[in-house]
Amino acid sequence: MIDFARVTYTYPDATRPALRDVTLSIPDGAFALVMGSSGAGKSTLLRCLNGLVPHFSGGTLTGRVTVDGLDPVAEGPQGMSRTVGFVFQDPEAQFVMDRVEDEIAFALENAAIPPEEMRARTTDALEQLGLTPLRQRKLETLSGGEKQRVAIASALALRPRILALDEPTSQLDPQSAAELLDALVRLNTTLGLTIVLAEHRLERILPFVDQVIYLPDDDAPVLAGPPRDVLPHVPLLPPLQTLARTLNWSPLPLTLEEARHFMSTDLTDETDFLNPLKSVRSVDKNTAIVEARNLEVTYGPTAALRGVNLTLYHGEIIALLGRNGAGKTTLLKSLVGLLRPSRGDVLVEGRSIARMDVADVCQRVGYLPQDPNALLFADTVLDELHITLRNHGIPPADAPIAPETLLECLGLADKAQQYPRDLSVGERQRVALGAIMVTQPGALLLDEPTRGLDYRAKAQLLELLRAWRAEGLAILLVTHDVELVAEAADRVMVMEQGEIVAQGNPADVLRAAPTFMPQIARLFPEQDWLTVADARYGLSCASTPSS
Amino acid sequence: MLHAVAWFVWLVAALIVVSTTRNPLYLTLALAAFLTTARAIRQPNEPSAAPLAPGRFALYVIPLAALINALLSRVGETVLLAIPAAWPLIGGPITAEALVYGALNGLLLTALFAAFTVLNLAVPVRDLIRFIPRAFYPVAVVASIAVTFAPTTLRQMQQIREAQAIRGHRMRRLRDWLPLFMPLLTGGLERALQLAEAMASHGFASETATAHTGRAQAACHERSRMVSILGLLGILSGGLLTAWRQTFWGMALIVTGGAAIWGALWLTGRSVPHTTYRRAPWGYREWLVTGGALVAVAGFLFLGQATRTYNPYPALTWPAFDTFTGTALLGFLLPALVVGGHDD
Repeated sequence: MIDFARVTYTYPDATRPALRDVTLSIPDGAFALVMGSSGAGKSTLLRCLNGLVPHFSGGTLTGRVTVDGLDPVAEGPQGMSRTVGFVFQDPEAQFVMDRVEDEIAFALENAAIPPEEMRARTTDALEQLGLTPLRQRKLETLSGGEKQRVAIASALALRPRILALDEPTSQLDPQSAAELLDALVRLNTTLGLTIVLAEHRLERILPFVDQVIYLPDDDAPVLAGPPRDVLPHVPLLPPLQTLARTLNWSPLPLTLEEARHFMSTDLTDETDFLNPLKSVRSVDKNTAIVEARNLEVTYGPTAALRGVNLTLYHGEIIALLGRNGAGKTTLLKSLVGLLRPSRGDVLVEGRSIARMDVADVCQRVGYLPQDPNALLFADTVLDELHITLRNHGIPPADAPIAPETLLECLGLADKAQQYPRDLSVGERQRVALGAIMVTQPGALLLDEPTRGLDYRAKAQLLELLRAWRAEGLAILLVTHDVELVAEAADRVMVMEQGEIVAQGNPADVLRAAPTFMPQIARLFPEQDWLTVADARYGLSCASTPSS
Repeated sequence: MLHAVAWFVWLVAALIVVSTTRNPLYLTLALAAFLTTARAIRQPNEPSAAPLAPGRFALYVIPLAALINALLSRVGETVLLAIPAAWPLIGGPITAEALVYGALNGLLLTALFAAFTVLNLAVPVRDLIRFIPRAFYPVAVVASIAVTFAPTTLRQMQQIREAQAIRGHRMRRLRDWLPLFMPLLTGGLERALQLAEAMASHGFASETATAHTGRAQAACHERSRMVSILGLLGILSGGLLTAWRQTFWGMALIVTGGAAIWGALWLTGRSVPHTTYRRAPWGYREWLVTGGALVAVAGFLFLGQATRTYNPYPALTWPAFDTFTGTALLGFLLPALVVGGHDD
């Protein structure tokens, strides 16, 4: 179905090729995953399938791409539109129309499909993605998951044989992401659609995948084939496979069921596990830095927060979980004064922020919004930090931390003179963190910090947060990423419809709701483990007496 | 929902009527008809799409137009007060006639505004875009995107303002806007590029399917280009002839030229393979609305010849009113009668 023969592609003005000598083939009806770190060329590879590369990007492409017998380079994206349906990362950025059914029909209108058939196809595409009840709705009123399904439906309307998706779940909460994946699996099995998907979050996808394409960072060759052949050569994997690798489980389990099979042979029920010594952090309850008291925020008639109480102490990481629209971002914004509550109060270092300027609050409480791009505008990374200092009227000499020192701590020392927007997603985020942390606030609020980050960037962020926690920073982390929560959090809170519905230590809260369970917790439901490190520690203690 | 073309006919008729008279009685009558229509077709549950109600518009525009004209015009017999002649520009007598004439201009503008308000309420912007000739289909889509782009850009602006506020940014001087515009601009460009990619992947503006039709199309394009150039020449020379008082031949040339251009557009449009999803049926209500508008404009132009011109200069007089002409104007009310109730 898809063949790459020695494909090398270089973007215009780039010194290194984005794809180097790629040879691979994806069979008809496959569910293929394209993996690799940010900047490894995943999007580039997908864009080769329908001719966006090189038609849109320019640059030079050598070698030969064949998709369903066609040459995308010769056909161009318009010509390939009936063969390859393409879904982009951000559904909103690809909508042309304003209503669900019009958006789906857009491609059909361009293809001059007769009106009768157009209706039939639109109805069909709506049905396949479970969108029939939403067909008359305005796109702006849909949730993120619904929008992404509309994007898929509009890509399917032309009845392509291949569906290419570029990180389609990166903006979705775990439930919506799971629903989206279910829809894709259904399309794959019932319609025999070939699916090619680029993704960072492998946890949920690996069980469904039958082909993996791994794009390494260095000049090593691209690996393609069934997951079990490729995954052992990939350095960073989800917790389940990481654990399996350290325990030498072979063949590598892709699903929890497969992993449980190893457990029943390796580890008997009599094995005496030991729970790891959780480094129970003794938080000084006298050092609250941010405190929300009975906070209520309303948007017009709807209440976004209904009486939220929260205290954030120095030297702890609180993780805040919840579906999209539960009020998590609203809470963060009201904690720094960007939104004013209709009732209740926020205290920062014991003082109410009701009469304080946002800028003054943010000198004490740093806030990293979801899209760090909104922050960055200076010519160099170092400038971004200096601008924040200047905004606050702090001369560089009096800065609580020298910008250069902070950049070093962020791992950006060698990028100080670069243009921020040229950096990778993870690096840009760390620049934004630098621009916020240069005033050395006592607390840091992060909104979805792992969105779009690959495993390495995530690990770097985690390390940074842990180091700051050790120095006494209070951190509130809003995220969908339960594996990150498992690694980092000292306390977990769950929000639903503007209320905190559960809170407590991570092991208890994460194991209470199935959608929030980290992989390791699913694998060892009897144990108190959340991370690979927990499991390794527990297992090593357990195996010592038996061997 | 009425067919958008019916609304177009209604609008053009309304514009013709309003722009050919300054008789305050007819203008007021037409304005009343437009406002009634606007009230009738407004969806009760949807918030008003118009950013400015015609009433509010009138409140600003009529006094303003009256004042400006009164200050600048020196004609008229009824002097209300005199500004010392030494004052530059505005010095001189202020006359009641000039005041009335200015107010009439304001009234006319209000009526035009009300007519557009009706169209704005009746036809969503996207439906309007659908009536851009198919030959200009890419233009139509660009317009459609612009409609989507504006609210997204506003949202992004808000996001950036917050992001800058949290790093201590304060808006004091003009230069402080720079941190807002740089991310907005780059973000906007990135989004535009992504949208372009998405549209190409959806087969938008696809080139011809095969080489064969491609050649046929190229020939067709060539032909229609020739025709439209000829049409344009026709209109130009027609215009010149009219200027030399050869009105009949001039008009004939203009009409033929216009028809030729329209035909060329239609031909080119036919070669752009495209179908539309939404079906807009043309039923009796559309006939009634177009019919009403045509009766109004025809009645007004033919019956109202004597009464539709009104000039307050040199001295104020009571404007004339012809009952038949006035009645014809009620044709603009037909949408208010046929829309609503059974709105599907």
